[in-house]
Amino acid sequence: MIPLESLRDSFEGVIPSVIATTDADGIPNISYLSHVHYVDGTHVALSNQFFSKTAANVARNGFATVMVVDGYSGQQHVLDLVFARSETEGEIFERVAIHLAILEARMSGIMKLRAVDIYRVDDCRAVPAANPLVEPEPLVLPDLMGKVARLTARMSDCGDPETLLDATLEGLGELFGYRHSMVLVPDGERGGLTTIASRGYDQFGFGAEVPLGRGIIGVAAERRRNVRITDLSRGQRYIQAVRAMAGVEDATPIPLPALDKPLSQIALPLASRGRLVGVLFSESTERFTFRHRDEEALTVITAHLATALSFLSEERERAETDRREKTEASTDKAGSVSEGRRIAVRFYPRDGSLFVDDDYLIRGVPGRLLLHFLEDYVRTGKQDFLNREIRRDRRLQLPDFKDNLETRLILLRRRLEEKAGPIMLERADRGRLRLTLAGYPEIEVMED
Amino acid sequence: MLGRELAEFIESPVMILFATRDEAGRPMIGRGSGVRFDRQSGRLRFLASRCQWPRAVGEALAGRPIATTYVRAADYKACQIKGRILEAGPADAACRALGQAYVAEQLARMLALGVTRMQLSSTLSDRELVCLTIEPQEIFEQTPGPGAGRRLTPEAVA
Repeated sequence: MIPLESLRDSFEGVIPSVIATTDADGIPNISYLSHVHYVDGTHVALSNQFFSKTAANVARNGFATVMVVDGYSGQQHVLDLVFARSETEGEIFERVAIHLAILEARMSGIMKLRAVDIYRVDDCRAVPAANPLVEPEPLVLPDLMGKVARLTARMSDCGDPETLLDATLEGLGELFGYRHSMVLVPDGERGGLTTIASRGYDQFGFGAEVPLGRGIIGVAAERRRNVRITDLSRGQRYIQAVRAMAGVEDATPIPLPALDKPLSQIALPLASRGRLVGVLFSESTERFTFRHRDEEALTVITAHLATALSFLSEERERAETDRREKTEASTDKAGSVSEGRRIAVRFYPRDGSLFVDDDYLIRGVPGRLLLHFLEDYVRTGKQDFLNREIRRDRRLQLPDFKDNLETRLILLRRRLEEKAGPIMLERADRGRLRLTLAGYPEIEVMED
Repeated sequence: MLGRELAEFIESPVMILFATRDEAGRPMIGRGSGVRFDRQSGRLRFLASRCQWPRAVGEALAGRPIATTYVRAADYKACQIKGRILEAGPADAACRALGQAYVAEQLARMLALGVTRMQLSSTLSDRELVCLTIEPQEIFEQTPGPGAGRRLTPEAVA
């Protein structure tokens, strides 16, 4: 029997697998199925939501024969399976369910995984390449450990969360060739995620939002699991077929974060001490950019990033707390507020969304923070703000506030920078922000 | 039994799968290399490569049941035709030509969908073709989704 470990690329779900069974009268049944999942050296798992005939046949005699196809080389293998058990929860179920959850978006639950069937593999045979048009090229998969070591060493040199985020994404592009990447952080209020750092896109997209559970990023965050797709185009064709068959009218494609036509994507949750602190997402216009070993390398990097991000945010807070009271931010006289043009600021308390000169800027906690800065400025002319002050300010009454202040300030500052508008927020020094305005803000709070 | 639309569908450049089974009931999988529907007799002339699918073709014996599935790769539209094998033997010159034309066209279609020549190397074969004469008995919807497996009556497919 050919070892299943050597077929790992055939278990990617890139090319639909084929399953055959036989009924009580000995009549065969053959159909496609979306995924065959590797469990261990002698077991595979099948997710089969639609194939009632297959399920009935297997329940009768326990036999199934499956053909898997290597998405890279096209090499086919036939596996003789014997049903072992069905699972509705646990590690394997979760791993299979997450792949379906990506496809399931906007499908009204018709592809929801009900159970995963585990089969023992009795034999695995290669199908001879009877029509060799091109000999399979030897696949060179370099060891990524050295690159992981170099990148994590660079990350360890970073002294603040913002530099750390930039160094990580820069390193992923430079060392690994992952040129389109972003980091998203939980927004804390709506249960979604917000882009805080990105590389390789025409627009930075700071503040772009992803709902929890939606798409590869939202699912990775919600389930706290890595999600890797090696060929998105095939999955999309498959889902279109299901959608048409099911009469689902919403034909909006699965929302994709940034690239027009990505073929490979990977999303990895950043968790520190059991808490989700973000998601690292990377994508490519090539197939098979992210293989198993890429995922393993990125798993080490994300673990390091999550820990370092959490540590640096806390360290900053400690440093500020240790400061003496004399570092209290200065307050300018009210009369010194800048003259010049009017900056129209519109704020909606319901979701914290804030518009500047009729342009949407940001919402949620960063929106409330900016309103707070601007109101103080209008009232007193104050332009310098200490993180410590912000944390203590009861007027803000922000949920889950302390934990995410650092990342939200980074997000707000970058978003303002990206807009290059009349309001800027600069990092004056450690733990201190300075508000600069090219005009005088007129704030309008739009109550419901 | 097959309506015009369904006959044209299975004769178009769709991907073809088939399954036979051994004495113990263990199913065998293979890919087809073309099919023709004989409008007069109502039978299928089904082609498969013996050298590529020795087990599945080896169990394709006269009198045995067989399942054949036809899938359009562009949108996964699919149906399954089950039936009984009436005859099995080496493909004649006409069938060989049909199989070669099917493989050539199918390769071209898959290349157009972005599948590489390397990936297709293992998929289709026009060598050592065997022709199976099949009497269709049941037809099923097979497009992925909640309707997969639904029996299509002759009226529905006509």
